[in-house]
Amino acid sequence: MENIQSQSRQNRYHGPITSLTNAAMDNDTPAHTNLESQVDALAMLILQVADNRDKAAFGQLFQYFMPKIRAFGLQRLNQQGLAMDLVQETMTSVWTKAHLYNAEKGAVTTWVFTIMRNQCFDMLRRVQHNREDTFGDDIWPLCDATSEYDIQPDHKLTAQLLKHLDALPLAQKQVVQGIYMQELTQQELADALKVPIGTIKSRLRLGLEKLKSFLEIHND
Amino acid sequence: MIKHHPTQDLLVNHANGNLPLSMAMAVSAHCSLCDTCKEQLAQLTAQAADLVLAQPKTQNVISGEDTNSNQYEHEGTKTFATQNATLDIEAMMERIMAQPVATNIPNNAPLAVQIKQQHYTVPSAFRQHLTRPWQILGKVSRMRFDVDEMGTRASLLHIDAQGEIPQHTHKGYELTLLLAGEFSDLNGNYVPGDFIMLDGQHQHSPKTVNGCLCYTVLDAPLHFTKGISKLLNPIGELIY
Repeated sequence: MENIQSQSRQNRYHGPITSLTNAAMDNDTPAHTNLESQVDALAMLILQVADNRDKAAFGQLFQYFMPKIRAFGLQRLNQQGLAMDLVQETMTSVWTKAHLYNAEKGAVTTWVFTIMRNQCFDMLRRVQHNREDTFGDDIWPLCDATSEYDIQPDHKLTAQLLKHLDALPLAQKQVVQGIYMQELTQQELADALKVPIGTIKSRLRLGLEKLKSFLEIHND
Repeated sequence: MIKHHPTQDLLVNHANGNLPLSMAMAVSAHCSLCDTCKEQLAQLTAQAADLVLAQPKTQNVISGEDTNSNQYEHEGTKTFATQNATLDIEAMMERIMAQPVATNIPNNAPLAVQIKQQHYTVPSAFRQHLTRPWQILGKVSRMRFDVDEMGTRASLLHIDAQGEIPQHTHKGYELTLLLAGEFSDLNGNYVPGDFIMLDGQHQHSPKTVNGCLCYTVLDAPLHFTKGISKLLNPIGELIY
């Protein structure tokens, strides 16, 4: 950590990070090393963040990506403050979602680009449309739908539930569908339906109670 | 087999995040259904990422680095500004590293949609839009999304078996992405995943035998041309 801080004092905001590959690789690669070893070095740093929450490794990633993200942000968002917001949001995802990076699917740069572009997409909508929505990660998923995150649904029960769903009042049906079929969070649903989150909670409770009573009747 | 794909130009712009929401969802949904375009999009994204985030081979003096530092052009304020910036950066890093590991990983498995007792699955690109109400007019049902893009209209469109849309031309482009079922028009039959882009020159009258679910994007209201259905024009607004 000491090392990183002194580094960032020497390098300005946008100074070139020539020390990256030297520090990350255990050999005497020159600073203007080829792209391939840069790729390996970045992947190694991401792994260290994912496995050990390694702050020094994150510091190096930050030093490497920050000026590039900032330049991209300035070009797209045309404002210093927004460009730094983009840096912060993107690097926060790199820190909190490092475990989602899969080296078999592509380079670290591609993964970070995906995070940055998605974030920038949402920020642009905020600027241009004054919308607080976050659609970027739905449009360009950060990881593939894999079975490890999927919970195997109980098909028989699902089919039974779906049958009864139509019997619910529209407001409750919308909420139950939103949460269980479209996998929205309660907040996202509240935003989409333009009602307070408390309303979502009570509609969900009522809807589920009613569904439960249907199932109990029909299971007897 | 899917015969109709987004153009290369659309894919490149999609990879770079330049398309408006309505079109970005369409290209994303197509790529979930079409492995060829999914693969191509992955390559285009990697290329875009290389341009923006890979280490330049040689440090170019006239690169963005230099223009960005214009704010420090006065020698006297330079050190001060730089120190402040460095402090800001360190504070930002501390804030970031105080965050815990993210646990709510968005699931991008296909989602269930139900209309008129029919069950469909649609790509997860539509995840946050599927709560809108269906508007049903005879065999045609529409769920209009709230994309908030000037005149653009983005919707899920469901047509019952044996249904058709009156013949119409378009004032602007019309994009239809078939998500489930089948339909046909003068140009042939379509299968799920087909990405059909028509401009104002085309006239067509889609029909479906077994019913279908589509995602449509219109940048202008449909404009009906065929005899009696001209009367339907005001309803065109309603249908789409």
